[in-house]
Amino acid sequence: MQQLSAPQTHSAFPADVIRLPNGLTIIHQHLPATPVVAVDVWVKAGATTEPDSWHGMAHFLEHMVFKGSDQVAPGEFDWIIEASGGATNAATSHDYAHFFITTAAQYLPQTLPYFADILLHAVIDDTEFGREMDVVIEEIRGCQDDPDWLGFQALCETVYGDSPYGRSILGTEAQVRERSPQQMRCFHRTHYQPENMTVVIVGGVERETAIALISEAFGSFAVRSECPPLTTQPLPHLEKITRTELRLPRLEQARLLLAWTAPGVDLMDVGIGLDMLSVLLAGGRSSRLVRDLREEAQCVWDVGSEFSLQKNASILTINAWLDDAQLPDVEAMIQDHLHHLQTTPMSRAELNRIKRLLCNDYAFSTETPAQLAGLYGYYNTIAQAELAVTYAERIQRMTPDILQQIAQDYLKPDCYAVTVMRSL
Amino acid sequence: MSAQPLTQTRLANGITVIAVENNAADIVAARCFLRAGGRWETPGQRGISHLLSAVMTKGTTTFSSADIADQVESTGANMGTDVSADYFVLSLKTVTADFPNLLRLAADLLRSPSFPTAEVQLERQLTLQNIRAQQERPFSLAFQQLRTAMYAGHPYGGSMLGTPETIQALTPADLHAYHHTYFRPDNLVISLCGRIVRQDAIALVDAIFGDWTAPAAALPLPPIPTLTPQPGCHIIPQDTQQSIVMLGYAAPSVHNTTDYVPLKVINTYLGSGLSSRLFVELREKQGLAYDVSAFYPTRYHQSQFVAYMGTAPENTQIAVDCLHRELKRLCEVVLDPEDLQASKNKLLGQYALGKQTNAEIAQLFGWYQIIDLGVDFDQQFQDAVNAVTLEDLQTIAQRYFTTPYLSILGPATHVSTVIF
Repeated sequence: MQQLSAPQTHSAFPADVIRLPNGLTIIHQHLPATPVVAVDVWVKAGATTEPDSWHGMAHFLEHMVFKGSDQVAPGEFDWIIEASGGATNAATSHDYAHFFITTAAQYLPQTLPYFADILLHAVIDDTEFGREMDVVIEEIRGCQDDPDWLGFQALCETVYGDSPYGRSILGTEAQVRERSPQQMRCFHRTHYQPENMTVVIVGGVERETAIALISEAFGSFAVRSECPPLTTQPLPHLEKITRTELRLPRLEQARLLLAWTAPGVDLMDVGIGLDMLSVLLAGGRSSRLVRDLREEAQCVWDVGSEFSLQKNASILTINAWLDDAQLPDVEAMIQDHLHHLQTTPMSRAELNRIKRLLCNDYAFSTETPAQLAGLYGYYNTIAQAELAVTYAERIQRMTPDILQQIAQDYLKPDCYAVTVMRSL
Repeated sequence: MSAQPLTQTRLANGITVIAVENNAADIVAARCFLRAGGRWETPGQRGISHLLSAVMTKGTTTFSSADIADQVESTGANMGTDVSADYFVLSLKTVTADFPNLLRLAADLLRSPSFPTAEVQLERQLTLQNIRAQQERPFSLAFQQLRTAMYAGHPYGGSMLGTPETIQALTPADLHAYHHTYFRPDNLVISLCGRIVRQDAIALVDAIFGDWTAPAAALPLPPIPTLTPQPGCHIIPQDTQQSIVMLGYAAPSVHNTTDYVPLKVINTYLGSGLSSRLFVELREKQGLAYDVSAFYPTRYHQSQFVAYMGTAPENTQIAVDCLHRELKRLCEVVLDPEDLQASKNKLLGQYALGKQTNAEIAQLFGWYQIIDLGVDFDQQFQDAVNAVTLEDLQTIAQRYFTTPYLSILGPATHVSTVIF
């Protein structure tokens, strides 16, 4: 696949990337027509950075950041941002944790210092830690009652094995109970450092103002700490069909979940190709699987496919909701479709449909400052922000032959992980 | 975002067109709303609106299901139909250049659906399965139990999917009759927003829909349902990891603006965001829940105010007591002026943030028009929020937070002993 990753693209990146002397990256885009500003802070401190047996740490820390710093009392930041009409939230995944605010531009100078202080100087108080542990455990319990969460988790374990991508970001209840505030302070002070962070600011704020505000608010970081080492478990290489089965009470429909791993963002064009193949297979009613399985054979209630680009190991999934009795037939039909992908190039009409769909989806999901900030921050965390805007151009360059090659290399019909979910 | 120039007009055949120009992106979004949906269904035909919306994109007198999917997807557009208790909507989003062609297709779907028998049969089977699948989620089950208790015999009482019995009985002829009755130009609101000059948008709608004439028969009025309050405690024993606890109160329709607006402020105070009262008291300070909040949907008829949380089974009784105490507290105490101002700012700020994309703007104005509030409600609502007083909040809390309906789901040993 050498030829795929080689060419550099030159799409104009509409935002500025600024590196501060302390190593912090700022990405700024001025949108003069909007009175809103989104600030999205991305930290390379997802679940994959957790030391051995510190599982659940990255996500638990995301909760504790909102408990404040020496200067900011628990809940004070939430009040400051929301009482001025803004909104805030956060999310953690394997590759990142990110924290965002959206606010009317005039409130930015008064809210940003609070936001930066809780991020850089999270106090992680012992009492608050104990209380928040109960909240995280409730979050885990809620997921345990969600069959789709359980199914996806089982699939990730099947496809990623013992590597960090196979673990639940939340950790288990037992793991969360083992975390200590001291460990967490160490994890925070190791990872929430300038070279690991990208502050994206998009909306109704000009460049110089944005840089000045961020430089001031994100000027002083905590004294560095050092976490215990983590053993990187190699990503397992799927060489056959690996199967798990989940029996759940009260399941009203069976699920067939299939997954293939793929290279990470280093081979971006492979990711783009798999994104396109996922749409070819199950994006919309004229896609191959929806048309054949749902509309014609009527052997599934629904079928979908997703591709998720990750730093080290992307993943393509195909999910079908169906009657128990159809499981073997449907899996065989999906295999047939994959065989066909390997042997026959797609038609120009299909290729054009996919290109239009994905390019429009990109346009449709970059309308607001918050959407743009999220996009740039994500790409800058797993690679470089500029990659985000090469998406459409890379899609346009794809040909039926290249996509067939990618299918042959990565979407093998005899080499995948499968999780079957049935009622007890 | 604020004060977008908006043009509203009524075409000769009765279609209301709302157009907003927004040049931020090369996109146009449209929402075609009809006064049809749950409110217009008879009890024996619950779910007909949903089934109609599912089959509507699957054939017209000119195009097959595959043709329609191909026209939409080959241009990378988004087109979908949806139905709620208060309206039917067809949604469309395209890059600007594709918009006229897709709007033409949308017109064909709305005007000349063929409801092919095989497609009706397929969507019926999928709907039946969908009804079963809703049983899988504890939250859905608990909420369904609450709705059934609060809205016996009322269109707001069930899911829009209908029941297995009503869905089994529906025929293509029923769909045609429903379509013939409600899908007519004088019952249609088309709301657009995007990179399109307002007058051009209106001219385009006129060119595409202008030859559609309304039948002579008067549009039938939906039945006005009556409700008999029967507060009580309803329990589903189920072996889950978490208990779900919900408290519900009958709440005013959006047309009762003097009560609706203060209750929206109360809802914000209690349940909106990380600084909301329920979040701070029950999650931050007591660690009882991850998901704890309140909601108060904007409804044409009587709505419901719901406070809920998911909690460890052994905390079920505590959760009931805490939620109830928080609601009673609003009847007893006058809030701080600072809390009132913060809640107003939060409500108005989130309202503004919900009007950013073309689709959001088209949706909001079209929805206000279809539920008979009119587009001016956008400003009236914001003014009314600003005018709410501390006394209003207490008066409204006392008026509506009387005896709650309680819905609980969780392990039998913990939920069967709940005292209320």
